[in-house]
Amino acid sequence: MRWILLLCLGLSLPALADLDYALKPRLIAADTWLLEGSTDNFAKANGGNIVNTAFIVTEAGVVVIDTGPSRRYGEALRQAIAQVTPRPVIQVLITHHHPDHALGNQAFKDVPIGALADTTRLLHEQGDSLAENLYRMVGDWMRGTEVVLPTQALQPGVLSVGQHDLRLLALTGHTGADLAILDQRTGVLFTGDLVFYQRALTTPHSPGLAAWQADLDTLQALPWNLIVPGHGPVAADAQPFAQMRDYLGWLDQLLRDGAANGSDMAELIRSPIPERFAAINLSRYELTRSVSHLYPRYERAQMQRLDTRY
Amino acid sequence: MNWRLSCILACWLPLAAHAVEVDPVPSVMWAFYHKQLLADAPFVFDARVKLLAPPFAEDARQVPLEIDARAFKGHVVRILAWAELNPLPKIVDFQPKEGVLPWLALRIRIEQATPLRAAVLTDDGIWHVGSALIDAAGGGCTAPSVVRSQPGWEEHLGEVLGGRYPRGEFSRVRVQVAHPMDNGLVSGIPEFFINHGQLRGQDDQVLAELELFPAVSENPNLAFDIEAPGPTRLVLRDNSGNEFDAAIP
Ligand SMILES: [Zn+2]
Repeated sequence: MRWILLLCLGLSLPALADLDYALKPRLIAADTWLLEGSTDNFAKANGGNIVNTAFIVTEAGVVVIDTGPSRRYGEALRQAIAQVTPRPVIQVLITHHHPDHALGNQAFKDVPIGALADTTRLLHEQGDSLAENLYRMVGDWMRGTEVVLPTQALQPGVLSVGQHDLRLLALTGHTGADLAILDQRTGVLFTGDLVFYQRALTTPHSPGLAAWQADLDTLQALPWNLIVPGHGPVAADAQPFAQMRDYLGWLDQLLRDGAANGSDMAELIRSPIPERFAAINLSRYELTRSVSHLYPRYERAQMQRLDTRY
Repeated sequence: MNWRLSCILACWLPLAAHAVEVDPVPSVMWAFYHKQLLADAPFVFDARVKLLAPPFAEDARQVPLEIDARAFKGHVVRILAWAELNPLPKIVDFQPKEGVLPWLALRIRIEQATPLRAAVLTDDGIWHVGSALIDAAGGGCTAPSVVRSQPGWEEHLGEVLGGRYPRGEFSRVRVQVAHPMDNGLVSGIPEFFINHGQLRGQDDQVLAELELFPAVSENPNLAFDIEAPGPTRLVLRDNSGNEFDAAIP
């Protein structure tokens, strides 16, 4: 039995060494670097690199925004930063508790990791099961990954690092605790997962679509000139906001109409997706998930008490 | 192949287009369930029995399932559904009478990726079997109860939310019943679930009989399509003898 195990280990080691995220930082604004992930779903082929992470090289040191899906990603991100600048990483900001944004924290244990207090609470409550689920989907890439909680509770307001004044916003639409960051020096707006672009948004922890729409209003009103969404390409125009509003509005109406017509969940999941969302990756998959997350609230809101025994 | 079935396949050609002998889903359990639940009775795999579920379970404790046997309207005696790889496979035994369409929607728990089946017994004695495959991360049957984690849940036991939704020729009746549907697989909690239901129309005439099994999710969600005029009554009983009654105007 033991030799079989050894054989397996021997066979899997070279494969493990091939698991390279090949992160290529791209300069998107002054001092500002993006690591753009794919708009696909978590898969063994991409190691969970479906997310955008970024870093800002300030005079005082480097600020990292989100650490990626795994320990291996976090380490690769750190190496990628070192390729660009000799300055030390001095601050990590986590936009929200989802595993693709926060499971690279292990590589930044020596740095203050800041997040909203509720993000840390959610990561504490759900981190292990979220990580387990990611293991199931991306496999070996996750090896050695453990949840590391943020060490610093962020308050909304301005955080100054070097010459960069970072305006921190505490919002709620995607997970109940969503940090958005506007770099007031460059006008780059890091939206976290409050904005998905060309990739269907995800709703497993959303407090509701109305809150999300309100957050989009708040974000769009900021003096930004470049949007870095949590997933999908950066944009210098308001197109990501328009797409988000359109999709959220459609989803809300679909669920509302479904509840009013007495549609069952299985029927709603098969609803046609409008042609105008054809370019949005994974919309059928995420609709299936969103109906499961959100529809029970819509159903209950319009049902009547019918029991006669009480 | 059973002689009677061969005869039907030979004589009734249109059937051949829908009914196949080859199992449409990969399964090692079909023969077992055919014997266990259908007593080896004649059957066909039949695409006209639509078993509609998402391709994967986003929440393995609340998987939506729609069983549509309207292609056999007027000839359906019984509809049996199960999840082959569940520790407790049986889901529902539904017997729609005159005035209720052979259609049903509900939510179930699954423990792992599994073939799902809905077997529809028609009045000629043949089971028409609809199939689907669903993927799942798993654990839906052994997850701790959400209902029981809510303080004071006992006070809400048997509360029914729902409504009637006109659909032209018929009306959709939906209900959601507050009940933990304990399946006995979560440690320390014995089986406690709604096991029987009856839909009644005017003059208390029975419109459908319903047997539920613990694969049905907590706070069961049920939907029926009813041609008979309202009001409709739903009478439910659990395995502890509690009775719940709902009136759908
Ligand atoms: Zn997210």
